[in-house]
Parts: sequence; structure tokens; C-alpha cells
Amino acid sequence: MGARTGPAHDRSRQLHRRTVLRGGLLAAVGVPLLSACQTRTHDYGELRIPTPENPIRWPLSKKYPIIESGLKPQPGSVLRIYNYADYLSPKMMKDFEAQTGVDIHLSTFNDADEALTKIASGNLGFDLYFPSYDSLGKLIQAELLRPLNQDYLTNAKNLWHSFDNPWYDLGSRYTIPYTIYSTGIGWRTDLADVNLSQYENPFDVFWDTQYTDNMAILDDWHTAIGMVLMRNGVNDLNTTNSKYLEEARVALLDLRKTMNPKVTIQMYTDMPSGQYGLAQFWSGDAINMPYYLPKKTPVDILRYWFPPDGVGEIDNDLVVCLGQGSNPVAAHYFMNQILDVTSAGQNFGFTGYQPPLKQFTPSDLVKQGYVPENLATAVVQESDFKTGLPLLQLPVTAENEYHQIWQEFKSGG
Amino acid sequence: MAEVETETDRPVPDELEESQASRRRGAEPEPQKGVGSRWLWGGLALPGIVWLCLLFIAPLYVVLAIIFGGIDPILRQPVPVWNPLDWDFSQFNFVMGRIFGPDPYFRPAMIRTVAYVASASLICLVIAYPVAYFTARLAGRWKGLLLAALIAPFWISYMMRMLAWVNLLQTDGLVNKTLSAGGLFNVHYAWLQGHSTTVILGLVYGYVPYMILPLYAGLDRAPTAMLEAARDLGASRFQTFYRVTWPLTRTAVVVSLLVTTLPMLGDYFTVDLLSGSPSNSMIGNLINNSVLTPGETGQAGAFVLIVLVVSVIPMFIYLRSTRSGTDIAV
Repeated sequence: MGARTGPAHDRSRQLHRRTVLRGGLLAAVGVPLLSACQTRTHDYGELRIPTPENPIRWPLSKKYPIIESGLKPQPGSVLRIYNYADYLSPKMMKDFEAQTGVDIHLSTFNDADEALTKIASGNLGFDLYFPSYDSLGKLIQAELLRPLNQDYLTNAKNLWHSFDNPWYDLGSRYTIPYTIYSTGIGWRTDLADVNLSQYENPFDVFWDTQYTDNMAILDDWHTAIGMVLMRNGVNDLNTTNSKYLEEARVALLDLRKTMNPKVTIQMYTDMPSGQYGLAQFWSGDAINMPYYLPKKTPVDILRYWFPPDGVGEIDNDLVVCLGQGSNPVAAHYFMNQILDVTSAGQNFGFTGYQPPLKQFTPSDLVKQGYVPENLATAVVQESDFKTGLPLLQLPVTAENEYHQIWQEFKSGG
Repeated sequence: MAEVETETDRPVPDELEESQASRRRGAEPEPQKGVGSRWLWGGLALPGIVWLCLLFIAPLYVVLAIIFGGIDPILRQPVPVWNPLDWDFSQFNFVMGRIFGPDPYFRPAMIRTVAYVASASLICLVIAYPVAYFTARLAGRWKGLLLAALIAPFWISYMMRMLAWVNLLQTDGLVNKTLSAGGLFNVHYAWLQGHSTTVILGLVYGYVPYMILPLYAGLDRAPTAMLEAARDLGASRFQTFYRVTWPLTRTAVVVSLLVTTLPMLGDYFTVDLLSGSPSNSMIGNLINNSVLTPGETGQAGAFVLIVLVVSVIPMFIYLRSTRSGTDIAV
């Protein structure tokens, strides 16, 4: 008690009052100072969304001009690449370093949202980024990209004709295609006795309780919700219909409660190591699985399914040159190397993701041993892009709805 | 009758000075109040105040400016609003509504976090206390070696230690093989397929070294004489522990619990690596998911604020505990 009374206690009370007064003074001075810090706001005008039915020729950036022709990369300079993990051949990068004297610094991300968040956060200085076309419009309208100088991209002649003038970037002003892939179902026959023909809709397999605790879905909100929409019989994977989205939400929550799925993008290593037997898969990861199988495990236990009529999720990733980078010349040289047949072959061998180059005909990929026979269904045909269902950029309100569904699913509530 | 003070009763000047000095010693001399002294103490506090402002108050204000700020219309990135008068509470209210409202889908993750952290902390304590006790009191000449062994986990990053467990816990991994006892049993338990047990054990494994060290420090400082006195006065081993050792180390226990529970509250990595299932999501995962989702960064800030407020409670307990510890010592 004695310690709480008397002058010492009074002193502490006085000190307390003084502290409060000081705090008030600080706030009175500090708040106007802080409010003087300008809040960054952007006026982008109307949001434009490219679709196959509504192709877009993007205007050239005013902020980042096209580089001049005939320049050479500076030896000793650094090329900063921002990409998914295991999505670029180390040998290809080393060869490029040896040829040009440029040092490559590779940083990785887990999903496109994370990448966009970091790119938009400021000057991280990345030169090259590998987006899908569902975020291309945002990147261009936010003036984060540098238009390409086609003079440096001499290997673009190797591309499939369907990529000469793509709907998402008419005139290929900002992009080159990187890889093409489908999204389907993968499984190990020794860990999951899957017979897709027994289901009215093959995607019902993800709700079959015999695979509870033995499955995974992709940690990518649009890809995963797209699969649920297809399971519900909705082939518009970019729907803004609230009824369809509510049905997708219910199905997704049901999936979590009954199946306890792992949500990851590491299925290409998890499944070969035997963590689970069934998963939603990107075709490139399916092709890559044999590489990660334990030595004595036969490759023929692996399977991949994509709708035989070609009506399924089909996409391609791109390479873009970011305006925030300081080495656009080396970036152009590297983009051209990606389109080189030898380099593309090396890259395909490492990543499993198919380049849309004329020299890589689907039938040859199996014959040449790039893809094992039992995973031939993972090879993407040029015709798949006519029947396939692309994941497009969404209007802001709809994207929020998708995100909210995904958030509820992932929070485990 | 008035008392007569004799010559011998009156203290001589030297004795008076000594007794006054001893009284002053006993009564803690008042610190000097000169202007120079005040500036000296203020100056010594300055680095700490600057540190606090730069690394706590300023970041906290940034978090608030983001939680109550705006969102870029296309990129969906947070746009901090620095002026509190312009703050928008919709993101914060959204999070609160999903915790306390009619559709509380964030609530299970909150409850799960408390359950996981409490279980893991308790298990950590049960493991760490005997280990620290043995090292501090009974290890003898092995004390140095044991201490080195206790510090060894700090040399390996948390991520690497967790990744090691991913390999061990795979369905055909070493743990299941060991449990199979050479084929005697058929064990194919999917440890990594979203089980609370795996997550809690992962947390225990990850954080137990952080608990052992403060406990060791507390036990090592406990005066042996007091323990011996308790035994000499007839207390049994259990009574000695319960009535002397435990009270003496209670502050160390609180510190060690704080050192482990606070980082556990924000942990998301353990769930990501050892489970990957939404069924095991903790508040750290909600923060991580929101930070990485365009348009939801403000919600991440709201979760951070919740963790901060919840963290204050154990901190308050700690402060009370250390204060009562001082009282005992005095």
C-alpha cells in the first residue's frame, strides 16, 4: 500500500499527466504533418478487359518509351527476373549469362496476386515478369509495362500462327507468349483408384469421400473456382452471375468440410513423394511429375485428364518487360532467347511447360521423349485454344466476389 | 518525571554522522535533481525512444493508415490515408463483422489459433522445464555441452527445420516406416494432410528451444542456499520444488511463455508447410492470405491489430509478474 501513496505516487501521476500533454502536443503537430503526406491516387479511366470476342490493341506507354534498336546488353549489368519457382531452366539462364555477360537475379512468387501486389508496391526493379493474360490489362493500364521493340525479337517467327496477333495484345506490343497449359485432374494409380467414367461429371471426383485426406486443389482462386463452376455445369469461368457464384461458394465450402484438401501449387513434388493420390493439376506440372518420382517408382502410375472435347480451362502465360527495371535491353535479348528453339527445348525439359513454337508439335513431344505416353493427355494442341475456356481478367466487383469466396474457403471457417 | 540525558547517552558527532549515513543507505538516496543530471538521464533514454518511435510507433501508424485507408481502383493495392480525419473503417468493420457478426467465418481460425498456441505452449513448457532444470542443476560438468546443444537449433533456420519434418512425415517417410516396425504394422498415416496434431507438434518443435533458454537462465539464478534451507527444514523434494523452486522461477516461466506464444500467434509458416489445409488455418494465415490478395491488405492490417491487442494481455501479466517478483526480492 505504501508504495501507492505519498509523493512518489504523486510524482508518477504528475509524470503521467505530463506524458499525456506531450502526447497531445505531438498529435496536434504530427497529424497535420502526416496529413500533408500526399496520398497516392490514380485515375486510370475506364477499365478495359481483353477477351477473345473483344480483342484489344493497347496504346503505347507514355511513361516508358520503346527502347531504340541496335543496342547491346551491358556486360556485368544485372537482369532481374520475377517468376514462379521452378518455372525457368537454370541452364537456359546460365547460357544467357555466358553469352551476354549479364548477371541474372531470379526472384520467385507463389501466385499472381502476390506478384502483382509486390510489383505494384513500388520500385523493386524487376526487368521481366511472367503473368497470365488475366492481369495484363491491369499492368498496362497502371503503366507498369514497357512496350517491346520487335526488332530484338527475331525468334518470334517460331511461334504458332495463332499467337502472331493475340486477342489479349493485338500487335504483340507488350507481350510474348511463354508457355501454354491446360488445367485438369492428375492422380497416382497406386494411391488413388480413380475411374472418372463412373461420374456424371468427372470433376465430381474431388467430392468423392473415398479420397478424403488424399487430395489437393490448386492454390489459385480463379483456377480453383473455375473448376467448381465446371463441376456445377457452368462453362463461363468468368461469370459475374451471383447465383452461379453462390453455388460455387457452397460447393467449395462443402469440398473443404468433406474432403479436407491440401491447397497448394506444389502438387508436382507432393504427389510423386506420395503425400496424396489425387489433385487438380496444371498440365505442365503433370508432365514434370516423373522428374520428382523416387528412383524405383515407375512412371506409368501417373495420370492426367483433360476434357477430351477440349472444353476445359486452357491458358497461356506471357513474358512482359516491366518499366521499373533498369535493364530493358538485356530483357529484350532474354525474351528473344526464350523463343529460340534450343533454349525453349531446354526450358520445356526443365519446367514441363510447353512452348507454343512450331518446332514442338504435340505428336513429336511424345515421340522425342519429352512427355511419357501415359501423360500424353497433358500435351496442349493448337486447336484447344479454339474450344478451351480461358480465365480472363474480371471486372473489379466480380473479382471481389471471387476473392471473398476464396477467402472464406481458405480461412477454414 | 523528565528523563535526564547523560553524557554517555548522547551520540558523539562521528557516531551521529555514521548513523545518518547508514539511514540514508537504507532509505535509498534520492537521485540528484540538477539540470545537468536531468539532461543526462534524458539523453541516455534517447536511443531507446528513437528506437521505439522508428520500429514500433511509426510502423503501427502505417498499419493504421493502411487499415483505414483506401484501395487503388485497378491494382487493388492499399492506398494509405495519413490523416485520421479521412479514415475509412469499412475494411476493419468487415473483419469485425466476420468475427463477431452473423456470418463469422474468421472466428474458427481465431479459436483454432488460441487452441493451437495454448496446447503448443503447454507442451513446450512440459518439455522445456525438466530439460532446463536438468541442465541448470544436475548436469554438472556436462552443463557446457548441454547448453551448446540447446543453442544448436538456432543455427538452423526455422524453415529448414520444418522442411526436414516434411520429408520425415511424408506418407512413405521415416516416421511411418519407423511406426511400421519393419513391416509388422501397416502404417500409412497422412501426417501432412491437414491434421491439428501435426501442426501443434510442429509448433512445439519449432519453438521449444526458445523456451528452454529463459527457463535455464531463471533456474540457474535461483539461489541454491534457499533450496538447501528448505530441505534442512524438513521439506520433501516435492515440497521444496512446489514451495521454493517454482515460485523462484515463476517469472522465468512467464518470460519463456511470452517468448514462445507471441511469435506463435503470428505464425503461418508451420501450417503452410506441415498442413496446407484450410482446416488448420491460423490467424497468421489469414494475415498472409489477406496481404497477398489485392484489395484485402486493409483486412490484413485489422488482423494485425487484433494480434497486437491480444498480445498486450500476456505482456500485462508479465509486467505484473516481474513487479511482484521485485516486491518479493525487496
